[in-house]
Amino acid sequence: MLDRTVVVTGLGAVSSLGNDLASTWAGLVAGRSGIGPITLFDASGFRTKLAAEVRQMPDPGVSPRLLRRLSRTDVIGLTAAREALADSGLDLEREDLGRIGVVLGGGVSGLLDSENYFRDLLEKGPKGARPTRFLNHPPDQTTDRIAEVWGLLGPRATITTACSSSSTSLGYASDLIRAGLADVVVTGGADTFARLTHGGFNSLRAADSEPCRPFDRGRKGLTIGEASGILVFEEEGRARRRGATIRARFLGYGLTSDAHHMTQPEPSGEACARTMRACLKSARLNPGDVDYVNAHGTATVQNDPAETLSIKLALGERAREICISSNKSMLGHCLCSAGAIEAVATVRTIETGIVPPTISYVEPDPDCDLDVVPNVAREADVRIALSNSFAFGGNSTVVAFGRA
Amino acid sequence: MREIFVTGAAAVTPLGRDLETTATRLAAGESAVAEVPASEAGERKGAAYAARIATFTTEPEMPKAKARRLDRASQFAVVAVTRGLAEAGWTMAGHEEETGILLGTGSAGASPLVELERQMAVESPESASPFLFPCTVANAPASVAAIELKIKGPNVTITQKDPAGLNALFYGRLLIDDERAKAIVVGAVDEWNLTYQLAYERLRILKTATMPGYVLSEGCSVVLLEDGASARARGARPWARLAGAASAGSPVSPQTRRARPEEIAATIRAALADAGLPASRVGLVHASANGVPWIDAAEEAALADVFGAAPRVDRIKLQIGENPCSGALQLALAARALRDEPGLGAVLVNSLGAGGNQIAVVLTAP
Repeated sequence: MLDRTVVVTGLGAVSSLGNDLASTWAGLVAGRSGIGPITLFDASGFRTKLAAEVRQMPDPGVSPRLLRRLSRTDVIGLTAAREALADSGLDLEREDLGRIGVVLGGGVSGLLDSENYFRDLLEKGPKGARPTRFLNHPPDQTTDRIAEVWGLLGPRATITTACSSSSTSLGYASDLIRAGLADVVVTGGADTFARLTHGGFNSLRAADSEPCRPFDRGRKGLTIGEASGILVFEEEGRARRRGATIRARFLGYGLTSDAHHMTQPEPSGEACARTMRACLKSARLNPGDVDYVNAHGTATVQNDPAETLSIKLALGERAREICISSNKSMLGHCLCSAGAIEAVATVRTIETGIVPPTISYVEPDPDCDLDVVPNVAREADVRIALSNSFAFGGNSTVVAFGRA
Repeated sequence: MREIFVTGAAAVTPLGRDLETTATRLAAGESAVAEVPASEAGERKGAAYAARIATFTTEPEMPKAKARRLDRASQFAVVAVTRGLAEAGWTMAGHEEETGILLGTGSAGASPLVELERQMAVESPESASPFLFPCTVANAPASVAAIELKIKGPNVTITQKDPAGLNALFYGRLLIDDERAKAIVVGAVDEWNLTYQLAYERLRILKTATMPGYVLSEGCSVVLLEDGASARARGARPWARLAGAASAGSPVSPQTRRARPEEIAATIRAALADAGLPASRVGLVHASANGVPWIDAAEEAALADVFGAAPRVDRIKLQIGENPCSGALQLALAARALRDEPGLGAVLVNSLGAGGNQIAVVLTAP
């Protein structure tokens, strides 16, 4: 691998807290919850009726003709990409578009539309179901849409590894730049809500009927969210030469397989500790270098204590000297875009020295005994931060960012 | 880049439960493409086609009783990955963390997803099966295989339409180069599903009796990419060397296959340049040709542009259908050809996907 380094020169966000980076970050710092009643479909038959939905679809800045063809995921993905590209200051008319790639995490994509197609098929038969509702079903639609809208010709990929998808996409994007296969990669992820994900997590009894409470003793499960987080990764040398504002450095990532269970975390914490150690090795860091961990923190009964153990195993004594927090307490679990929106928040934490809190925290859990920044944001000198993403199937990814 | 070999391969396809049977039947000109009978799909205007695996058992790689809990794509993956590792002589014990898995897919999870949607719509919202839900996510086959075989290195699923299998190789190469694993199973897995077939038929993108188009396929094909030093140290006999690859995109709608000959040719040339080879060294091309006339014509023009009098061109998707698993099968066949045909030189595998994705891979004799 060539010795090229990767920096973040642009950020964009759409979430339940707001339709841009500023409002999303302000919500996180204020400890505001984006969780509310489900409005996208009739949830009356479900045990749980809450989600962190994007309440009003943003304007992605495309033609009305194209807008009609977009899924909900495409709309928020394109909106966040537009903001991130603008933030990067790249003049695409002067760039070699063959050197700009797109790598996103995605999964749900246009499933909400597909579900309507499936239901019409069941209720009305083929003649009553419009197949165009199925067009946006593949998970890679948003990746292709971003390339289409901005004319990007470089390498492209979509990662679908459930809750670690978009963290892994950051890793692939960085490798493309480090290997000299691209100079800029639009990366991150977009994912939205659907009956299937809500019903699925309900069936596993992994969803809380109240807003999720990561690391709290009374936690009962997750709340699903929607978001897009987009980061512009750029080779550091060219970014500096063009005078770009460098928000943070992407230092490395860990990518491992738990090989344990399809839906349960490995309870000793060792599997995910291995991912964290792999990240430290990739980033050439020692445990003592880490100032903050943006935790996976799903609020499921199993994840939070296992993750606490992982952090202790990987960071040793340093685990008790630093703070960790879960953005999911406010944004919900954004599934295939969780890693991306949390990476965006991690970069902002490094930039501002403000750690977003873990809200809805009431009662400490002795099995989750690290400093989780309960309920109120905190100032901290964060030079280096990790962000954890652990998925169904044992797909574990941890990314590391550092101060520019 | 570090030297990387293909040290083994395996395939579960509509033409066979192993690579040798599949390769032999393809060479004999057999086709897996068959009509989807009206008894399955109901009345419609024209016959439709698919390349499906008619009968399949996971035994001896996995007992039937255990396999019953798995979705169809995961069953394919467990068999193909197990056999691929065995073909390579790669021992998992003691090497779990040095072994990775990267699979592409276009349809894994389709049947569990459709069934879960039916359960919620017809029975009740709360009746979704907790056993089916994890299988609806595209990463299930790779993760099931990882759990079964104790693969603890990188584990990634890529869903970039038809080139997804080649994309798995593309990323796998970077991961080995970065010393994240010594060996990585790369390939793709797919399952055929009637609801998806009917939707695509009605969108008029599949072959029918009266209209050209492509045919959906299913199966799982893999190759084992291995770090050169690792392969030498254990005395492995490589099938092929991963010499070069290129990945590019065209800015078109996700449903559109951009088919400009000059763009296709540019990506192929980039892969050859990455391999440091002239076009004249290529003895075999596995084309993306899938039965859509204007795409196939554009690729033909590109091949003529790059190679002049083109080398031998295999168009197996016309016999075995198309999905990411077909591109992965082409990788396996390319490695096998280099193992078995001295003097072949190099093999190019080209893959074009809807949305303007293209990946070209060059393998050479080891």
